[in-house]
This record gives sequence, structure tokens and C-alpha cells, in this order.
Amino acid sequence: MTTTATAARGTGAGDEGGTPRRPPGHDPGPGRAGRVRSRLYRWDVRYSPYAFVAPFFLFFAAFGLFPLLYTGWASLHRVELAAPDDMRWVGLRNYTRLLDDDFFWNALGNTFTIGVLSTVPQLLMALGLAHLLHYRLRAANFWRVALLTPYATSVAAATLVFVLLYGRDYGMVNWALGAVGIDAVDWQSGTWTSQFAVSSIVIWRWTGYNALIYLAAMQAVPDDRYESAALDGASRWQQFRHVTVPALRPTILFTIVVSTIGATQLFGEPLLFGGAGGQKGGASHQFQTLGLYLYEQGWFSFHLGRACAVAWTMFLILLLIAAVNATLARRLRKSH
Amino acid sequence: MTTTTTTDPPAPAAAPARRPGPRPGPGTRRAGRQLHGGPVAYAVLALFTVGSLFPLVWTAVAASRDSSRLARTPPPLWFGSNLPRNLGTAWTDANMGLALFNTVLVAGAIALGTVLFCTIAGFAFAKLRFRFKSVLLMLTIGTMMIPPQLGVVPLFMVVAELEWTDRLQSVVLPTLVSAFGVFFMRQYLVEALPTELIEAARVDGASSWRVVWHIVLPVARPAMAVLGMLSFVQAWNDFFWPIIALTQENPTVQVALTGLGRGYVPDQAVIMAGALLGTLPLLLAFTLFGRQIVGGIMQGAVKG
Amino acid sequence: MRGSTGTYRRRAVVLGAVAALAGLLGGCARDGGTAASGTGGGGSGKTTITIGTFGVFGYKQAGLYAEYERLHPDVTIKESVIERNDAYYPQLLTHLAAGGGLADIQAVEVANINEVATTLSGKFEDLSKAAGVRRSDWLDWKWQQATDRKGRTVGLGTDIGPIAVCYRKDLFKKAGLPTDREAVGRLWAGDWQKYIDTGQAYKKRAPAGTVFTDSAAGVYNASIHAYPERYYDRRGKAIYADSPAVKASWDLAVQASRGGLTARLKQFEKPWDQAYANARFATVACPPWMLGYIKEKAGAAGKDKWDVAAAPRPANWGGSFIGVPKAARHKAEAVRLAVWLTAPAQQAKLFDRQASIPSTPSSYDMPQVRDARHPYFGGAPTGRIFAAAAKNIPTLVIGPDEQQIGTAFTDIGLLQIDQQGRSPRAAWKATQKEIENAVDE
Repeated sequence: MTTTATAARGTGAGDEGGTPRRPPGHDPGPGRAGRVRSRLYRWDVRYSPYAFVAPFFLFFAAFGLFPLLYTGWASLHRVELAAPDDMRWVGLRNYTRLLDDDFFWNALGNTFTIGVLSTVPQLLMALGLAHLLHYRLRAANFWRVALLTPYATSVAAATLVFVLLYGRDYGMVNWALGAVGIDAVDWQSGTWTSQFAVSSIVIWRWTGYNALIYLAAMQAVPDDRYESAALDGASRWQQFRHVTVPALRPTILFTIVVSTIGATQLFGEPLLFGGAGGQKGGASHQFQTLGLYLYEQGWFSFHLGRACAVAWTMFLILLLIAAVNATLARRLRKSH
Repeated sequence: MTTTTTTDPPAPAAAPARRPGPRPGPGTRRAGRQLHGGPVAYAVLALFTVGSLFPLVWTAVAASRDSSRLARTPPPLWFGSNLPRNLGTAWTDANMGLALFNTVLVAGAIALGTVLFCTIAGFAFAKLRFRFKSVLLMLTIGTMMIPPQLGVVPLFMVVAELEWTDRLQSVVLPTLVSAFGVFFMRQYLVEALPTELIEAARVDGASSWRVVWHIVLPVARPAMAVLGMLSFVQAWNDFFWPIIALTQENPTVQVALTGLGRGYVPDQAVIMAGALLGTLPLLLAFTLFGRQIVGGIMQGAVKG
Repeated sequence: MRGSTGTYRRRAVVLGAVAALAGLLGGCARDGGTAASGTGGGGSGKTTITIGTFGVFGYKQAGLYAEYERLHPDVTIKESVIERNDAYYPQLLTHLAAGGGLADIQAVEVANINEVATTLSGKFEDLSKAAGVRRSDWLDWKWQQATDRKGRTVGLGTDIGPIAVCYRKDLFKKAGLPTDREAVGRLWAGDWQKYIDTGQAYKKRAPAGTVFTDSAAGVYNASIHAYPERYYDRRGKAIYADSPAVKASWDLAVQASRGGLTARLKQFEKPWDQAYANARFATVACPPWMLGYIKEKAGAAGKDKWDVAAAPRPANWGGSFIGVPKAARHKAEAVRLAVWLTAPAQQAKLFDRQASIPSTPSSYDMPQVRDARHPYFGGAPTGRIFAAAAKNIPTLVIGPDEQQIGTAFTDIGLLQIDQQGRSPRAAWKATQKEIENAVDE
């Protein structure tokens, strides 16, 4: 049954909107039954898309919308975690105070640098790994599961291991550096070293995950594209560049969007790296991300209103990135 | 952002320009997925595998030692003899039997719901035409941007209002669908699902649900498998929200594990044994079902 | 859309989806229900009292629940533990705010008790008038901490944290310092400055690879907790910017760090554990609950090497309370249990097992405390040492943002000096800025 699915792939796949579908060509005449059927058919075509997206939006409305709106409303108030009912209206004060809040700007900058340091190598490595996994391999399933284990490994375990790796006095990395004559590095205290270390945890946790997503998409690339490329004498590398990567573009874009969002919300890894009191992101907040700052405000200082304002600011920043992205994409398309 | 830009068909343009010459060695260059991995591929994979597995293996090592040995340097790199004792302590202290049962239920329900709802929604966004489509898609992506730490307080108010605290549905329902999943399936199906197939079925008078059942689901299977696996793992390891919604009386694994290491001196070895107990079933499930889901279906989908 | 049929149809679709959703909810509710009832435990007619704590309580391990259940056959006790207070307390706040998910008894750490006694006082039962509670049983300052302005007491004191100094005899000997615990106590009796001076002496003849103490923050904490007014004065005014207690303790900590006396560690982190195992430092300010920690981390190799001496000045670091939320299901039974658990006799039993010093002085003369000796610490009479320290602790004034302010000094300012090599002036400024940001509403 799946053969049919792959057989007719090709030129039309780009027309994602599809063309407006007409009732079946061989309409069974103008009879009453036929009219009912064709009307049913029209309804089906017109409304079932809504039914398809409805469960998602229903659940979102039930469990996502209220928190989102509440958060927005709370961000305009002075409200503490200890008494969320006791709200005092402050207008935009929670937002204006962010403008000259050095801690906020510091966190924003860290979020950006850690985001770049972690996302770019991670996605490139994931793409390469997916390509390798796509080969015919012995024990194919073993490699896949193995590369996904970081995603499945518990945070408690990962914490202990990374602290052991990056410890200043007794860390394995410093021990290895020492073996080749390099002085011990105080990973957690330095700005760049700590951001590098945090990025490495992100990369460790998410590379296999992205590789698996890429792999799934690669499996859907039809063989004939490779065949014709091979007939052209394309090398493996050229096949990868000219067949695999273009075919994966929606998926790659997907992972970029998700990783960007993930990087903006980065939370677990720096928290974990910071150990006890990790929400501060180091003595000088040198690896405190926006996610951590939000957490510190809400769950350590208990200022729910301010935390909500940080969250909405993050939300708005992401929307801004999205808007800029969309505009650029439209420009590009027009110029082609 | 709504990514219509990315869907131009990337047909290998120059294909017919040259006459097919003699094929290079049989089987080696024929097609991408038939290529055998060379020694370099194995070496690279092995390297990454070691890096990926190390923390897990070390968890097992730590779980087989005693707490004071773990603090000493160099840290132990090989197994000790305390594994059964630590596992036993973790099992009884953390109410692991119930926790595992609950977690299988919760993660299973979430994975099932996510795959089902996100596949049909993703299909609608990828291939169907309806009003407000791009707005709704934007909204979907927008919901991903809400920092997850934030909704916790209002969400708990909802759960408390429904008297769901300490009930499993308080963990299942809020995470039963995911914007990530919808977006993921949409991006996959845009490329993987040929529009002509749907049109052909339409011409034959197939209803939307028939199209979903007979065309979309078979094509979507690899992505569904991956999404199911990722949702399952995510649900399994989630603790930020469950720790608020549940208590140790009716815990998931991650909630149960937070109760380990009681007393003024948390026993690291027992904590690691608990972590191991919490992770192993997951890996076991991967290996068992992963073979079927990811391996089997992927082969089937492509080779037919 | 056009025409009413379209709208109708759409509505039908939505309704159908809602119905499906409702069915699903029903299904899940049943699942959850069965799973929950499976654990509900408790036979017919039994009351199950739940108690929510963070890691440091040892009631179950000390057999107190079992004993209570024997005394009250109609009661079953269920404990729900979250190891770390920084995960436990936000959960408690969320539950209190929503009025759901609460245990019948909830524990509160000393750093949070003021907030509970002020902002959240209305959400807890007043335990001062509960049957069997005698205010005079508790240390006065402990009782005060959990009592609001109207005289309602929201929590009963459990343990306290009088400070001593743990030191390594082997390292002291090599550095030419006395090793007997009385003599060591005399080295710095009365003044933390003498402790620093001892550190200077240690440094001159320090065994290779060792330093005098673990961290600047440790010195700071030990010193500051000896002052009645630290971050707030008696009228509740915040004085963290110029309080003499802060200034003096800060200067001591800076001296220790700048003088190279510290191992530049952060307490309760893994490298700190490793430093114990590797005998990296010779002393650490230790409340009773830290003895077990040292024993575990220093391991067999440290046995009989560590000992306990009196601290320069009596001070309190840590300790907890238990209270009964108004939203608790079994309030009356919970109050009875809470009163019993915190009674002097039970606190003494808990010390025996858990080394947490009671907040009820009459326990100190009970044999479990009076005769206690710690075999790992060279048989040191820990009961007497800590009880003596406990009796002289001044009444500590605490305020709402106690935890945030304390953390800013230890985890930001002093850590910047200790680990990042920043100047004390810059670090002080960073600390003040940190606090202003944290306490600003």
C-alpha cells in the first residue's frame, strides 16, 4: 500500500495549497441522491480542514490560552507568587523597568551568544549524522537509539557527569588539558568558557534528536532523485548537497525555527550547569539566559508580575524575529 | 515565517542532459539509501555514540558504588558491587512501581494524542485549503514561543479548579497536543506527500477522512514514529509541571525521583540508581519498539 | 462563509470535536481515578494524614511515624518528600495560592518562614492555641520566627542549626596547631577574627595542597548568623547596605579570600564534595546537620581525622518548621500529629537518628542528646557542644527577603571575589545592585 504513496511524487509537490477540488468528474447524474452526495462532498472539502485542526486548537484554548492571557494580564500588575490573587495595577511599569535593567540586557545578550554557539554546530552535526545513519548500516537501530540517549538521559545524571567533566579542580577536561601542558581552566567562572560549556551541553542533548528528525525526512526522499544524480556522476558529497539538502529544506527550516525558539527559551542546561542556585547563571550572571532570569524573578524572588513581563518580552522578541524573517523571505522570493 | 518559500520542487535539474553512461560499480552509487556505510561512517558514528552513551553508562557505574566513593577523585570508571542494594533502596523509597505504571500511562497517552492530532492538523496545514490557514499556522507557531515555565501558575489554577490535583489527567491533558508536533508534521508532509495523490483520490470521490486514512497516514508514518518517540521521551522526562501537579502519592517517575536522597545527606549513589531505573525502561522501549517503528516502517515506506 | 448551512455545519464539526474531547477527558479521568484509588491505601475507617516536606526531615527514618501509628491505630501517615527546598517551596506557594494539592502538614524552611508568617499567615492554622502546645517548650526566638504580628503561630519549630567548627586533626597537627577540641576552640573563642588569624598561622606551615577553609561564603555565613540584626532591624527596616553585622562579616570573608585561606569553592556543589574527599581544606563552619554530610563525603578515609570544636560565637544556621494549611483535609488530626512530632521527647529521638538539634531546650537534658557522641568525629560529644551553642544563640531578627539577600552576598558578591578575582569594591556594588533588583517590587 505504501508504494502508491511514493510512486507519484515529483513535480506537483510544491503546490502545497492544492488546487480547488471539484466534485468527482463522473457525477452520477442530476438525481437527488447525486445532489446530496455532491453537496456532502463540497461540505467535506470545505469544512473538514477545520475539523482536522480543531483538536489542537481546542486543547490549546483549554490549557494554553488562559495561561497566556493570564500571564499577559499579570505582567501589567505588581503580583507576588505568594499571593497571586493580590494584584495591583502598575500599567507598563514592569516593561519599562526592563529597559534599564542591566540584568535583563545581560541575559538577552547571553541568550543570543549561547544560542548561536549551540545551534549552528548542533544542526550541522545533526545533518551530517543523519546522512551517515541513512547509509545501509549494520545494527542500524542501535546507532539511532544510541544517538538519542542524551535526550533520554535524566537531568540528574547529566548534571553529575558534566560537573565532573568541567570541574575546575578535579574535572576530567582540565585533567586532559593538563596532560598536554595547558593550564587548568575555571570553566564556570569565565564568561566565554562558561557559555562554551553550556553550549556543549545543549549540543550533547539535542544533536541526536535533530539527526533523527533529519533522518525521517531523508527516508522520504525518493530513490529516483539519487539515481538520476548518480547517473550524472555526482559524488556522494554532491548528492548530499544537491539532492538531500534541497529535499530536506522544509525540515531544516523546521529545525532552525524550533532551535531558535529553544535557544531563546534555553533553561535546563544553564540551570543544570549552575548547580545549586543555578538560576543566577554564575556569580556575574555570565551564563544567565532569559529563561533563567524569568525563573529567578518568578520562582526565586517570587515577583510573578515581573516574570510575566519578561516572558511576554521573550514572546514579542520571537514574534519580531519571525516577522523580520517572513519579510526577508518575501523580499527574496520577489527578487527571484 | 509561514514557510511557503521553501517548497519549490528541487528536481535535479540537469538530469536528462547527459546520456546514462555505464553504471559505476553495482550497488555502490545507485541510490542514496542503498549506499553502504564505509569505515569512516562507522568510525564517526562510534565516536558520537561513545559521547552520547557516556553519561548513561556512568550513571550505571555511579549507581553501583557507594556515595562517598563518588566524591573521591579520580571518579570511579568501572562498576562496583552495590548496584542491587542501591536499586532496591531507590525502588522502595521512590514508590517506583506505581511511578513506572503511571508514567507509561501518561507518556503513552500523550504520545498517542500528539501523533494523532498533530498528524491530521499538520496534514490540513500542509495540503488543504481553508480560510485563516496562514493566520492559524502563525498562531500555532506562536504558541511554541510561550516560555513553558510561565504558564505553570495559571495552569495550576485551572487544574485546582477542576479538582484534578494529584490526578494523572492534570499531566496528560495540558500536554496532549503540541504546537511543535503540528509544525513538525506540516513541514514533513509538505515535501513528502504528493499533491497529485490526494487529487487522484478526490477524483475517485474519496472523502477527506478516507484520504487521511489511506494516503496521508501511510506517507506520514516515519514522521509519526519519530514524533511519537520524541513525545514519549519528552513526557517521560518532564518534571517541571508534574512536580507541581502531582505529589508522591500518585507520582510519575520524575516526580518520584525528586523524593530520593532524603535526609541531610543526599545519597548520590541511590539517586543515580533511581535515575537509572527511570531511564532504563525508556531505552528498553526504544530498542524494542524503536526497531519496529523507526526501522521497520521506514524501510516499508520507501521500498514498498 | 456564506449561508447559514455553512455555519451550522461548522458548528456541528466543532461540537463533534468537543464531544470527542469530552469523551477523552472522561476516559482519562477514569484512568487517573483508578490509578489514584490504587494508592489511596488505608483500610476502612482509617484517616490518612499526609505530610509534605523537603529533604532534611528524618521522621520516617527515625521511626516516628510508625510510633505514632502504633499510638493511634486509626491513623496512617503518608509522607511526600521533595529533596530540595528550592523545588519544594515554589510548589508549596503555588498550591497555597490555588488552595489545592496541599498535604495536611507542610514543612517550611527558616529562610522562608518570615514570608509564611507575614504574607501567608492567613492560609495556615494558628498552632499557638492547639492542645498540648506549650510555648515555653521552644527557644523564644524560634517561636517568634513563626508568629505573625497578631500573635498567630503558623508553624511549630523542629530543628535549629547552632554552628560549631569542624576541623581536621591530621592537617592541624602537620601545620603545628593544637588538635585537642578544647584547645582548638580556645584558639578562636569569642571572635571570628581569631579564626582568620589561626588561618594565617595555618597557611605558613600548611601541608601541601591544602588550605585553611572551604570558601569565603562559609566564613561569611558563620559570622553573620551570630548577630541579632543582620539584614533587617527590629522595626523591620531593611539595613543590608550598612548593617554592622554585614560589614564585619563581609570584611572577614574578604580577608579570608584575599589572604589565600579559602579553597575558592561554592558550598553544596559537587566540587565541594570532591574537596572533602580529597582533604583539600582543614576547617569548615558546621551546623549539626553538616556532620552527616562530611562523614558521607569524606568517607572512610576521613574517619577519626575530623573533629568538632566550639565556634567563636554562638550562631544559628538553618532549621525548619511544620505547619497545617487551612485547606488541609484532616486539620484536627494534622494538628495533633504536628504537635506530637515537635514535642521535646520526639525532637530528642530525632536527634539521636538524624543529628538535628532540637528547638526545644528541655530536650537537651534527655539522654539521647546529652550523651550523644559522634564516632566518626573522634567521639566528639556533639550533643553537648551543639546544645551549649544553641542556648546562647541571640534572638535573630529575620525579614521577608532573607533568602534573596543572603544569597546575593554569598552567591554573587563573595563568589565574585573568591572565584572570579574581582575587587571587593566592585563585588560589593554588584551585591547591592543584585539585592535592589531582587527586593524591588
